[in-house]
Amino acid sequence: MEINWITVSAQVVNFLILVWLLKHFLYQPVIRAMDRRDQKIRNRMDEADGREQEALNAKQSYQQKLASFEKQREELLEETRQEARQTRSQMIDQAREETARVRSHWMREVSEEKTAFIDGLRHQSLEVVETVIRKALQDLADERLEERIAHTFIRKLHELDEETREALGRSSEPATIATSFELDPGQRSTLTRAIHELVGADLAVNYTRAPELICGIELTCESQRISWNLSDYLEELTASIEKAFEPLETTEPGV
Amino acid sequence: MTITPDSIVYWQGGDFALNATIVFTWLVMALLTLGSWLVTRGLAEDPELSRWQNLLEVLVVGIRDQIAQVSHQQPGPYLPFVGTLFLFIAMANLLNVIPGYMAPTGSLSTTTALAICVFVAVPVFGVASKGAGAYLQHYIKPTPLMLPFNVIGEISRTVALAVRLYGNIMSGTVIVAILLSLTPYFFPVVMQLLGLLTGMIQAYIFAILAMVYIASATTVHEHGEPDEHQHNRPSEP
Repeated sequence: MEINWITVSAQVVNFLILVWLLKHFLYQPVIRAMDRRDQKIRNRMDEADGREQEALNAKQSYQQKLASFEKQREELLEETRQEARQTRSQMIDQAREETARVRSHWMREVSEEKTAFIDGLRHQSLEVVETVIRKALQDLADERLEERIAHTFIRKLHELDEETREALGRSSEPATIATSFELDPGQRSTLTRAIHELVGADLAVNYTRAPELICGIELTCESQRISWNLSDYLEELTASIEKAFEPLETTEPGV
Repeated sequence: MTITPDSIVYWQGGDFALNATIVFTWLVMALLTLGSWLVTRGLAEDPELSRWQNLLEVLVVGIRDQIAQVSHQQPGPYLPFVGTLFLFIAMANLLNVIPGYMAPTGSLSTTTALAICVFVAVPVFGVASKGAGAYLQHYIKPTPLMLPFNVIGEISRTVALAVRLYGNIMSGTVIVAILLSLTPYFFPVVMQLLGLLTGMIQAYIFAILAMVYIASATTVHEHGEPDEHQHNRPSEP
C-alpha cells in the first residue's frame, strides 16, 4: 500500500485528458443531438398543433357552410311547400266556385224549366177546364153560359156584406164591370138593375171586355173588387199544382 | 502475488516508470474515447436512434438526472467532471472480468489521483460559482473556531475517498487471487461477479460523493444554512 507520486501525477493528467476527451466526444455531441431532436420534435408538435388548428378551423367553417346550406334548403323547401299549399287551396277554391257556378246555373235552368212546365201546364189546364166547363154547361142547360155567369155574379152581389155595399154606395167614381165575353143589352140592364138595387141608383156602371178573365165577370169600383171568374178557380188550381211540385224542389241537394 | 498494478513496470525511463496502472488507464481511456467517437460521429437527430446512441443517451441523461437530484442545480457545468469520474471508474472496474487485466482503480496511486482531482475541483467550482471571498468564508462557519476542523474534514474526506475505492477494488482482486489458489473452480467466478457489482457501486459512490462535495461548496452560502447534502449523503460502505 504505497503511493507512487509520479504515477499519481500521471493519472491526474490522464484523468484531466479523459475529461476533456469525453467532453468533446461524448457529452457535448450527445446533449447537442438530444437538444436538437427535442427542438425538432417540438417544432413538429407545433406544426402539428398548427395543422390541427387549421383543420379544426376548416372543419368549423365547413360545418357552418353545411348548416347554412341546410338552412337554406329547408327554407326553400318550406317556401315551395307554402306555394304548393297556396296553389292547392286556390285550385280547390276555383273548383268550388266553378262547381257552384255550374250548379247554380243548372238549378236556374231546372227552375226555369219547372216554371215553364208549370206555366204550360196551367195554361193547358185552364184551356181544358174552360172547354170542359163550357161544354158541360152547354150540354146541361138551355141558357148560355154567359147568362149563368151573370146570374152567379148577381147572386154573389147579393151575398155581399154591409160594409162593402156601403163603400160601393159612397163611391163617386163609376163602377166598371169587366167581362170575358160580350154582354147583350138585356143582360147589361139586368146587371145594372141588380147593382142599383143593392147599392143605390147613384152609381154609374160602365162595361168593358177583359179576355184575361178567361171566363167570368168582375166589378171594380175604387178599391173594391167583386168578381166571379174561372181565372180565380184556375189560380187555386195552379196554387195546388205548384204545391204538388214543391216536394220536387226540396228533394234537390242544396249547394 | 502482486497486489498493486503499480509494481508491474513495462518500461523505465529515469524516475518515470511506465507501469501497468498507466497502461491500463490508457486502455480504458482509449476504449471510452473510441466508443464515444464511433457512436457520436454519426448522431441522428431524428426520433429513430441507433442502439448505441440510445445507450449513450441513457447514460448521459442518467448522469445528468443524478447530478440534478443531488445538487438541485443545473447539471451542465458538473457533467464532464462528475460523469467522467463515474464512467472511468465503472469502465476500469468492468474490465476486471478480462483475464490479465488489472484495474487501475486497484492502485492507490490512481484513487489518490482521482481524490486529489475532487479535492481541487471542490474549491474551483465553489469559487467559480460564488467568488473566492464567499467560498472561503464557509471555512469559518459557524465560528472561526471551526476552521481547523473544517480543513481537517476536507482533507480526511479526500483521503477516505481515495482509500475507499482502492480498498474495495484491491480487496476484490486479492480475494479472487487467494480463492483461486484454494478452490480453483466455480467459487472465484461468484466472487468475480460480486467484484463487478462492487465495482459498479463504488463508481456510483465515488461520483455521487464528489458531486455532494461540490454541491456543498456551491450551494451552502446561497441558502445561508449549513449544507444539508452532507447530512443526506449516502452511507459509505
